[in-house]
Amino acid sequence: MRYHSIPAVVICAAAAASAGLVVTQVYAADYLSIADAKKLMFADATEFAPYPLHMSADQQKAIEAKAGGPLRPAGWVVWQAKKGDTVLGYVVTDAVLGKFELISYAVALNTDATIRSVEILAYRESHGFEVRNQAWRNQFVGKSAKAPLRIGDDIANISGATLSCTHLTDGVRRIATWAQLALVHA
Amino acid sequence: MKTQRTSRALLAAMALSSSSLALADTSQQLLEQKIDNMAQELQLLKSQLQELKAQNTTLVNQQAEQKQQVAQQQTQLQAVQDTQTQIAAKPSALANLDIWGYGELYYNHPTKHSDKTQADLARAVFGFGYQFNDRTRFNSEFEIEHAVTSSSDVGEFEVEQFYVDHKLTDWASLQAGLFLIPSGLLNESHEPTHYYGVQRNFVETLIIPSTWREGGLALHGNTDNGFNWNAGLTTGLDLSKWNFTPQKAPYTTALELQTSAIAPMQATHQEMAFANAQHLSQYVSVNYSGIPSLLIGGSIFTGGVVRNQTNIPDNERVLLWEAHGRWNPGKWDISALYAHGSFSHTADANAQFPGSPNPLPAEFYGYYLQAAYNAWQNGDYRLSPFVRAEHYDMGAKYEGIPAGTSTTPAQPLPGLDFLPQTHDTVYTIGANFYLNPNVVLKADYQNFRINKDFSRFDLGLGVEF
Repeated sequence: MRYHSIPAVVICAAAAASAGLVVTQVYAADYLSIADAKKLMFADATEFAPYPLHMSADQQKAIEAKAGGPLRPAGWVVWQAKKGDTVLGYVVTDAVLGKFELISYAVALNTDATIRSVEILAYRESHGFEVRNQAWRNQFVGKSAKAPLRIGDDIANISGATLSCTHLTDGVRRIATWAQLALVHA
Repeated sequence: MKTQRTSRALLAAMALSSSSLALADTSQQLLEQKIDNMAQELQLLKSQLQELKAQNTTLVNQQAEQKQQVAQQQTQLQAVQDTQTQIAAKPSALANLDIWGYGELYYNHPTKHSDKTQADLARAVFGFGYQFNDRTRFNSEFEIEHAVTSSSDVGEFEVEQFYVDHKLTDWASLQAGLFLIPSGLLNESHEPTHYYGVQRNFVETLIIPSTWREGGLALHGNTDNGFNWNAGLTTGLDLSKWNFTPQKAPYTTALELQTSAIAPMQATHQEMAFANAQHLSQYVSVNYSGIPSLLIGGSIFTGGVVRNQTNIPDNERVLLWEAHGRWNPGKWDISALYAHGSFSHTADANAQFPGSPNPLPAEFYGYYLQAAYNAWQNGDYRLSPFVRAEHYDMGAKYEGIPAGTSTTPAQPLPGLDFLPQTHDTVYTIGANFYLNPNVVLKADYQNFRINKDFSRFDLGLGVEF
């Protein structure tokens, strides 16, 4: 039993130490506010103008066909990032299901509909956190709907976080497809 | 006369002067009056100006107030928009309940013994989870193995997971209950859509048990740079469950080899069923996924065990360690794993069963290398062929066996017309065909190099939701 006591003490002490930090953070799942995300994504922007989504049923169907999955534009919020009168790009926020809970994220798009960055705003599950990894999210940067934007193709999976990776990638692909059709060909 | 004229003139002058004086008085009065009027007007203007000034100030203030109000409204609107997608809108308490499930069916056809062809609803698993709040979650999984569970059937009903997870901070969570041991690539991610081949690989069945769970306490977390760590204090193995004297062959096919709980740790883990908790085990697992497409990791599980026999010293221990890697460059999915396990102080136990057809091993190990390729994809349909080479040895070393004594019986046990070896090299070629990410059809051929009679052709269906 002497052997057991050491790891047990270490684990309990670590647990207790962690518990001590609990009170400092109330909303542990929220990593980035939308306001902070917008500033992070477009540091030069002087204004984020709400950008209304005008999508006809036909347009939505066309995007769904191209993106390969149902669209949920009702959950999207879009802003146009401006510096003075110059449009720098767009920020779209959305949420997808991880395994059980929603992952809130933001996609920044350049005016040519290429992806500028992807940020995780809130992650609520106990597993699959790896999508927060900057290196993994960087895989999207510079790509557009012209790329496959699929797990197991041009976006590498994270073993053990397959559902989070897949659903997030599907979400980003839908936004990129909308951007390609609505912003570039409009 | 002159004097008269002079006095007249004087009088006239006086009269004139007095009349001009009177005239001067009048105009001064008028002037004063005018000045008074003007002063009054000035006063009026002044007060009017002040009034205007006041009005102007009020207007300026009102304008500023309005501006402020507009700005406030804009900020509020912005805040509403900002929080809109942050809210996981759930309409009722029932919405905090999650239900999921997975299962798999096999068709196994041993190519040299078609009479042993079997079809099995290997497992039907249903899970229930409840999210109490942002921090605390309950998860459970209930499994029915081999379709029918009764005293006269082979099936089992099991609680596979039953734990509470409490998030302490962004980077650490505490788990308590019955949970999966984070060993290898498969155990924690064992749903049929997650692995290649009809059945789980042999290394992660016979060397690392699956689905392997223990009861206890765990602390786990992630870092932003891609480290995933997990450490726990759990129940462990009960070596007294080891059967030294099987009366008939415990397995006659590859399917039975995997499902009959004959492997060293598969046969002795306790699954929280009145688990003996005198000796606890500890584990540590670390994975790194900071480089996209690459996962590397390993784990160590060790602890005291329930001794094999009550009349031997209470010093037997288990140690299982493994290292693994998975690489997903583009459409490739390449993985490799090595696992090594050992039981200490087994000589005393084995000495009590001389000539046992199933002695307790001191060491066991296995490894595999697997490559899959995402060959075709159309919408949700996806075809991924794969190959795997694996080696397992459930009895790499024995203690307490007299030198020169075989660790396997000279004759096959009843029920088997060949002598199975506890080690083998297996080559598998096959494909997973996904109807969608949640439904997979599988086919493979497995070639056993030593136990050639186990070679087989398999079909499978896997579902997860």
